[in-house]
Amino acid sequence: MKGRGLRIYALAYLVFLYAPIALLPLFAFNESTIIAFPLKGFTTHWFAELSTIEALHGAVWTSLSIAVTSALLATVLGICAARAATRYRFPFKPGIMGLIMLPLVLPEIIVAVSLLVVVVQLFGLNLSRWTVIAAHTLICTPFCIAILNSSFGNLDASLEEAAVDLGETPASTFRLITLPLVMPGIISSLLISFTISLDEFIIAFFLTGTEPTLPVYIWGLLRFPQRLPVVMALGTILVALSICLLVVAEYFRRRGVARAGQEDHGGFL
Amino acid sequence: MNISHQPARRAIIELRDIEKHYGAYHALRGVSFDIREGEFFSLLGPSGCGKTTLLRTIAGFEDLSSGTLTLDGRDMEGVPANKRPTNMVFQSYAIFPHLSVAENVGFGLRRSGKLREEKAKLVGEALEMVGLSGYDARAAHALSGGQRQRVALARALILKPRVLLLDEPLSALDKKMREQMQVELMRLQRHVGITFILVTHDQEEALIMSDRIAVMFDGSIEQLDEPEVLYRRPNSKRVAQFIGVMNFLPGEAQGLSGGRLAVDVAGLGRAEIEPGQFSPDLDHGAVSVGIRPETMSLLFEGEADRARVASGTVREVVYYGDMTYYEIVLDGLDSHVTISMKNLVDRPVLDVGARTRVTWDARALVAFAA
Amino acid sequence: MLLVSPTLIYAVALLAVPLAAILVFSFWSQDFLTVDTTPTLKNYREALTEPLYRLLLIRSILISGAVTLVTVLLAFPIAYYVSFHVPARRKSLWIFLITIPFWTSYLVRVFLWKVILGFNGVVNSGLMALGIIDDPVTFILYNANAVVITLAHAFAPFAILPIFVALEKIDRSLLEASRDLGEGHVVTFLRVTLPLAMPGVVAAVLIVFIPTVGDYVTPELVGGPGGTMIANMIQTQFLKINNAPMGAALAVIAMAVVTVIALAFVWLNRRWLGVRQ
Repeated sequence: MKGRGLRIYALAYLVFLYAPIALLPLFAFNESTIIAFPLKGFTTHWFAELSTIEALHGAVWTSLSIAVTSALLATVLGICAARAATRYRFPFKPGIMGLIMLPLVLPEIIVAVSLLVVVVQLFGLNLSRWTVIAAHTLICTPFCIAILNSSFGNLDASLEEAAVDLGETPASTFRLITLPLVMPGIISSLLISFTISLDEFIIAFFLTGTEPTLPVYIWGLLRFPQRLPVVMALGTILVALSICLLVVAEYFRRRGVARAGQEDHGGFL
Repeated sequence: MNISHQPARRAIIELRDIEKHYGAYHALRGVSFDIREGEFFSLLGPSGCGKTTLLRTIAGFEDLSSGTLTLDGRDMEGVPANKRPTNMVFQSYAIFPHLSVAENVGFGLRRSGKLREEKAKLVGEALEMVGLSGYDARAAHALSGGQRQRVALARALILKPRVLLLDEPLSALDKKMREQMQVELMRLQRHVGITFILVTHDQEEALIMSDRIAVMFDGSIEQLDEPEVLYRRPNSKRVAQFIGVMNFLPGEAQGLSGGRLAVDVAGLGRAEIEPGQFSPDLDHGAVSVGIRPETMSLLFEGEADRARVASGTVREVVYYGDMTYYEIVLDGLDSHVTISMKNLVDRPVLDVGARTRVTWDARALVAFAA
Repeated sequence: MLLVSPTLIYAVALLAVPLAAILVFSFWSQDFLTVDTTPTLKNYREALTEPLYRLLLIRSILISGAVTLVTVLLAFPIAYYVSFHVPARRKSLWIFLITIPFWTSYLVRVFLWKVILGFNGVVNSGLMALGIIDDPVTFILYNANAVVITLAHAFAPFAILPIFVALEKIDRSLLEASRDLGEGHVVTFLRVTLPLAMPGVVAAVLIVFIPTVGDYVTPELVGGPGGTMIANMIQTQFLKINNAPMGAALAVIAMAVVTVIALAFVWLNRRWLGVRQ
């Protein structure tokens, strides 16, 4: 009885969570140029228009290259830190890990302006996609560490010792035992940092040079009411892609859990 | 008990003055002994005594702070774990979860340069040896605890190591399974003839399986002997208490006579302690006299008086089915002694508070410094 | 140590150094394009005396506080439901469903709230169609309310997950023990479940409160003049009126205030509830 009341509340909450996303395709396929009810008619015109905007294509490529590079860098840094944090003791460990994980709770605008100050005012460098990559790697690394920590933490140290005991070198042990067992974690780390970077706006807004990323480009579009249906169409595609990526990431995470022969208890993070 | 009287074999492992420090923590303190070719050797002690550290230094997972370790006459200094002729069965079994049973067992053959068919044959033989024939394709995480243990054994033995190291291999199993595996491990060891070194905190397990046992406390070896010697003639109170149960009574040593130590034992009277059952430096003065529960007995109604009899009161009765343990307070003493009695059909179980007579075998007495 | 060093060096170079730089920068001053490096407290004096800055800072903290309160209060029953009433094998599906919206485009999501709450948006057209109101209500867009609703939506998973994790850690036999000792459902919840879940609640509060103080997109899109926050002012100083040192000073003040509030919150919790993180 108590459970049922909570269940109704939980379902209502899910509606609240999904309401904006559910509206997205409605307006994307709506004929009217005004984003409001009532809906007019069905059209795929806005999607077709997407393919004609040169600037958009440039922004997509910029964002993709930034997201791929940041995801790779953040995951490599994440692997180092997660491995060190789960297997070894070193001096000032809480302080060091605290600093590395700090971007998780730091307002993004702080990261953005502080990097802006350093890059532009201190070093006099030009803003480019590399400044965005550097910042995105910084904010993605804590997420990677959170995911990889559990992968490495679930790995029984004696598995690696057993491989060495049976004649493998540390390098071949890493390849034959460690890597296959943490691979699901690495893949979800890559996917999640890719998603974060692709979607990140504030830092890109501050640090982007002449090539805007996709969110910065969308931000520009939001100022022009007549372009909003196109934004809706673009948003629909992005949301669909994000959900696909997440399903893949979740699949790998679960496979990792199953591989380690454990019970499944949670989701990301 | 596995009492074997093999001729002394040559040493396969020689440990000399082994020291191990972890920062300020002194894990091994001057450990020196030999392990003989083909024996079933146990390292026994409470947790934190250094027995696992010692095993891991033999395996090559831990460096020595100082001292030498030779295996087959070869100094193991600087030889990494993957180059040592030792293999290990881990406490958690460390079965690779992403590989099948056959892939696990055959893991060590990857670098052997053998042909595929040869490897498959060896894997088959190893699985048969541990009674897992036909499990080749089974996923590792679909195995029960006992099966994992067998896979770990097969995997470690397939490389025909000179020494097999077992780190508390039975502690994760339930009591029945553990007893079954103890017998199987002994049989397996006799079959393959490889030296086994077992780390355990379970004294019963060590007594059952081992040819020799090293009892460790606080990073050093307290006593190294065959199980029977260890049980009958422990050389310290700590060893006596760790292995089985022993009663301790205060006594007064009154000098040697004919190699025996004369002692006046509280509650039991004058006794002579056999050679080898007391430390040579004991002569006069206060001692602590130990006696095992099964070497004392209660005299029931109608049973004939023996030479040595004391009276006492039953304080507690613990009934085990085959045995009954009595706590008896001997007249004139404050503390009690524990006495175990076989439950025979015509033998009653006494009640708490009953008066009884107690007798004992004086040859079983052991004396320690008080 | 060797292994953690690449990550550490990266974090120092791109986080610690910039944070230090911004602190230094906040004591400088700028006149159009020339930066004067003589240390001065002018920025801080201005930030603390100028009513607009003070208003924005206080408003940011009040809005963030409201967002945190709303988000955590709404999130707790969800976390509780998933942890205690959802069968074990369906839990990860629920958590997955809760986290999905978080991973979809933030900009687009915020913009859609504008659509939902707008003058002829979903809420107004819906209510009018149902005949509940005759004229569109306006108190839900371009003000602080809109910011609170939108942020409460955006940060929902951040609040749910830590509480869920804390609830999952509770040994169920503790609850049975409490019932066994004669307490009812409600008292058991108050005396056992809630205190044990507090570390999760504290984590949720911090993880929602800290980033929302510095949020830029939401106030910009749905806040209107009454809903702008400190981050918008920082952005203006940096990118529009080219007074980076002033922006830096505002950023430092905002960080300091947030840190003090967060620490005070943690301290109060330890003090009154004996919560340990």
